[in-house]
Amino acid sequence: MISAFLFRGLAGRIAWVAAFIALLGILVPLSNLMLPSDHALYVPDYIVSLFGKYLTYALLAMALDLVWGYCGILSLGHGAFFALGGYAMGMYLMRQIGSRGVYGDPILPDFMVFLNWKELPWYWYGFDQFWFAAIMVLAIPGLLAFVFGWFAFRSRVTGVYLSIITQAMTYALLLAFFRNDMGFGGNNGLTDFKDILGYTLQNPATRAGLFAAAAFALSLALVISSAIVRSKFGKVLLATRDAESRARFLGYRVEHVKLFVFTLSAMMAGIAGALYVPLVGIINPGEFAPANSIEVVIWAAVGGRGTLIGPIIGAITVNLGKSWFTAQFPEYWLFVLGGLFVAVTVFMPKGMLGTLSSFSDKVKSLKPAPKPSQTEAGEMRKEGEAS
Amino acid sequence: MIDSNTQVTSTLLYLDDVSVSFDGFKAINGLSLAIEPGEMRAIIGPNGAGKTTMMDIITGKTRPDTGDVLFEGQMDLTQHDETEIAQAGIGRKFQKPTVFESQTVRENLELALSGNRGVWASLFYRESEADAARIEEILQTVRLQQRANELASDLSHGQKQWLEIGMLLAQDPKLLLVDEPVAGMTDAETVETAKLLREISKTHSVIVVEHDMGFIRDLDVKVTVLAEGSVLAEGSLDHVSAHPDVIESYLGR
Amino acid sequence: MTVLRALLVCLVTLLASYSTIPAAMADDLKDAINALAEGSLKDREAKVDALLETGDDTVVPVLTYLAEGDLYFRKSDKQVFLADKTGRTFSLTDPISGDVIPDISKRDIKKVRVNNNLRRQIRDGLSLFALNSRDSAKRLAAAETIYKAQDASALPAIEARLAKEQDAQVIAFLQEARAGLTLTSDAPEEAKLSAIEILRDKGGRQALSILNEAAETSEGAVKDAASRAIVAIERMLAIWNGVQNIWYGLSLGSVLLLASIGLAITFGVMGVINMAHGEMVMLGAYTTFAVQQAVQTAAPGLIDYSLLFAIPAAFLVAGAIGFVLERGIIRFLYGRPLETLLATWGVSLILQQAVRTIFGPTNQEVSNPGWMSGAVELAGLSLTWNRIWIFFFALAMFGLLFALLKRTPMGLQMRAVTQNRNMASSLGVKTPWVDAFTFALGSGIAGIAGVALSQIGNVSPNLGQSYIIDSFMVVVFGGVGNLWGTLIGALTLGVANKFLEPFAGAVLGKILVLVFIILFIQKRPRGLFALKGRAVE
Repeated sequence: MISAFLFRGLAGRIAWVAAFIALLGILVPLSNLMLPSDHALYVPDYIVSLFGKYLTYALLAMALDLVWGYCGILSLGHGAFFALGGYAMGMYLMRQIGSRGVYGDPILPDFMVFLNWKELPWYWYGFDQFWFAAIMVLAIPGLLAFVFGWFAFRSRVTGVYLSIITQAMTYALLLAFFRNDMGFGGNNGLTDFKDILGYTLQNPATRAGLFAAAAFALSLALVISSAIVRSKFGKVLLATRDAESRARFLGYRVEHVKLFVFTLSAMMAGIAGALYVPLVGIINPGEFAPANSIEVVIWAAVGGRGTLIGPIIGAITVNLGKSWFTAQFPEYWLFVLGGLFVAVTVFMPKGMLGTLSSFSDKVKSLKPAPKPSQTEAGEMRKEGEAS
Repeated sequence: MIDSNTQVTSTLLYLDDVSVSFDGFKAINGLSLAIEPGEMRAIIGPNGAGKTTMMDIITGKTRPDTGDVLFEGQMDLTQHDETEIAQAGIGRKFQKPTVFESQTVRENLELALSGNRGVWASLFYRESEADAARIEEILQTVRLQQRANELASDLSHGQKQWLEIGMLLAQDPKLLLVDEPVAGMTDAETVETAKLLREISKTHSVIVVEHDMGFIRDLDVKVTVLAEGSVLAEGSLDHVSAHPDVIESYLGR
Repeated sequence: MTVLRALLVCLVTLLASYSTIPAAMADDLKDAINALAEGSLKDREAKVDALLETGDDTVVPVLTYLAEGDLYFRKSDKQVFLADKTGRTFSLTDPISGDVIPDISKRDIKKVRVNNNLRRQIRDGLSLFALNSRDSAKRLAAAETIYKAQDASALPAIEARLAKEQDAQVIAFLQEARAGLTLTSDAPEEAKLSAIEILRDKGGRQALSILNEAAETSEGAVKDAASRAIVAIERMLAIWNGVQNIWYGLSLGSVLLLASIGLAITFGVMGVINMAHGEMVMLGAYTTFAVQQAVQTAAPGLIDYSLLFAIPAAFLVAGAIGFVLERGIIRFLYGRPLETLLATWGVSLILQQAVRTIFGPTNQEVSNPGWMSGAVELAGLSLTWNRIWIFFFALAMFGLLFALLKRTPMGLQMRAVTQNRNMASSLGVKTPWVDAFTFALGSGIAGIAGVALSQIGNVSPNLGQSYIIDSFMVVVFGGVGNLWGTLIGALTLGVANKFLEPFAGAVLGKILVLVFIILFIQKRPRGLFALKGRAVE
């Protein structure tokens, strides 16, 4: 049943994109490790790290698209799930340092020694095991999303209200993680990681491996998401997005639908965060900043929401632009980003991919019998329009 | 007023002394109504008579302040939400046609098709031949076979109304609530719709709310007149239009 | 020791104002001061005593300078001066007239010698002297200092002064000071009991700590009385603490009200999600800064009133930008609230970066005018003037806006358009212009809020960011489209925040409030004062 389900995800252009990403996950590390550095196809170390980071961003943006593009839930707190996944991984990496820290304590991370803590807090137990941390990467964001969503969807908080309280959620977490006595390193967060699963993080081979992991994770998540949106459940998602009360009167438990997709999406965001942390070598409370979450929204919007592929393209494009601008004209980046928000929402609500495909539809419609793309997002409608 | 128990249990839908007010304004005021299995009932009344609010109460969208609402004699509708009531077998068509515009006509019907509505069931749903046949049948009934693969947003207003009625049929409810099915329809479409509803009423109980008197006459069923949140008169169309109170509050307006 | 130093500092500062001294007395004093220049160290003790006995404030700096070795006399006429070394030369200050003679060479003057005996005599004398000042306010300050210091060595001076004192307030303070000292001494039980009574009536943290000490060290009746007094004082303190928290909460609430009141219009009335709202506040604050700079260069005399110019300026600047924002972007997005949210967030980034480019990324200093600085003491509470002004300013803004919406034709049109756009339009209301002006009004009010907020915090490009989430919380909590809800919401959240702080700390308190609002919205998605019925859906 599962394989048949996943097979459905491998239809159309998504299959090609997923395959392409998986191929990158093989070829890029190979090129980086096998080819001499003067070879034309050699991928330098910093590119591997940088694009590995972009791939985790892409996964985050795609996870957001699943709830926003398909179910109409504009989450302004997805950065929180990303950061929680990152913290879970960071805790594992912290425990792997062992006695190699500045203070040389075999159990306690440096910041706890610095704060004069004598014992490891209970919630740090188990994080010395990779399998445990890996479960937590999924469980913690998933649980938060589940509890939050359970309350929010059951009480029918929708539209901008939901957006604003998701923002408040990540803001509250930001404030909480800044506190030293939370036991997550306070302001500085978790850093100075040494190795993962026994491999040194500084080693290019480890980074190439992480790149591959990010690419495979993205590819797999894409196939799963595609299978979901192509199933009948995907149609229920769109129905919920477009006319929530109609779906309700048809007998669908709208809050369960939303809760499922929200929790799933939060877990994907958690995986993205967990892959991000070893690649950049640090996780700190700044990742919870509301501005970060809202930036993810613009990646998805730029690429084209409700397309799954669009947000991947958007995340990579916008971040390439950001890297280039912050290096060349640091003071202009915010102008560009701000302008992007305005331009995309006013002139290009379907994003790059959506605009492209409606253009190609127009070209096609010159010939007879067109079938409009189903994955395209319709106009967002005001909540509770049916009466 | 129905007071014997046997009658209550044989009644499909039973409203007794239902009242609800919004910020002091009494939208429904001591409303009592009984629909028998297999019956088609037309409800008329001036704007603000409480027709839509009554539908909101039956479908669980609005909770009444006082009164009983029973479905099939045992299910207390005031204690359930929209989803549960829909699953129990009450379907509703909105005043403004509400279909899933970004999906095709066929997908709309597929979504409405009766069956397990759970998350897992819909994730792993595969269309059976019986389901496909049923959708074909409904497409035919609502005269939309030609447009099955077009987006619902591309339909005309009247076709959207029909699609919504088709969705109700796919849902296969015991009771259909149909709110102004012919609003904005051409005369020809109105006649067709009346035919369609009569067909449906052979196998389902139906409540139709409508303004269009010609349409009501075409339906040729028992009529309930609402005014200011309660029942003013009940009976055949000729009977109620002769009723002095009705003339004063509705026609004489 | 500490008492005396405190007293000295206190008195020296008080001396900034010279009292007018009758000419004859001034001459006597002058002679007495100049006498310091002559004679031996031994004679000088008598002369210092004579000076102390005058009870005149003028002698305080003279004796202070003498003790520090900074008292000089001019060789030519043996006149005594307070000397301050400025570079290589000295500037001399006439102790009587206060005239300053600059640039005096070291050769022309000579130091009045002093030894440790003399220093001790001066120190003890000044302590008494403070209590003997002719100015009752100064005596009061001295008595308060003594009370706070609780130094047993001051007891004789207190007793001496009590014998002569006429001023009731000073007597009360001295008695309290004495009571504190009595309680820690080995005085008889009766004296201690009456001391406890005095301290209980006095109340406050100081009395509490003295009584605690007494309760620990003593026994029997004294211990019991002290314990009872402690309970009484603690109850009073708890009440005052509550009052204080309420005030802090109301003060925070008024800040929230200011920040969110503009939002109550753009979001609450128009339904537009303006994420750049915080930046309108920020622009208002920067306008205040710019106006202050301009006034400083153009008319420094009016600097205290620059805020009055800043208010209309901030309204116009933020309002104009709001107008452009509505006409340029938001009007294309009506009916698409989520897109509006994103676009206005983009605008907020642009505005932040623009301000950063123009004014620099660092904080700008906006100074408080004279009438907004300082504090007023009210029965153990210290209320700062800027907070008081902001509180009433916020209420005034609210009242003004309320009147504008409910009582003016413009407000009527605004309400008409938001309730039924088509109907308003067909009745001849120019709906696009009403939209634009409503939005400009909301933005302009945010700008005015910026003027007020510049008085209590840093003015930086990130100013708006720190208010935006709170503002939305207030409006959503209070109930969208309901001005009263915004008022109640702001004040409630402010007070709740301040009451949570003592138990949970500032950050955790804020988190708790956020969590509370998140849960609250689940329970009542439409806020505190929600409209009911079909109309809202």
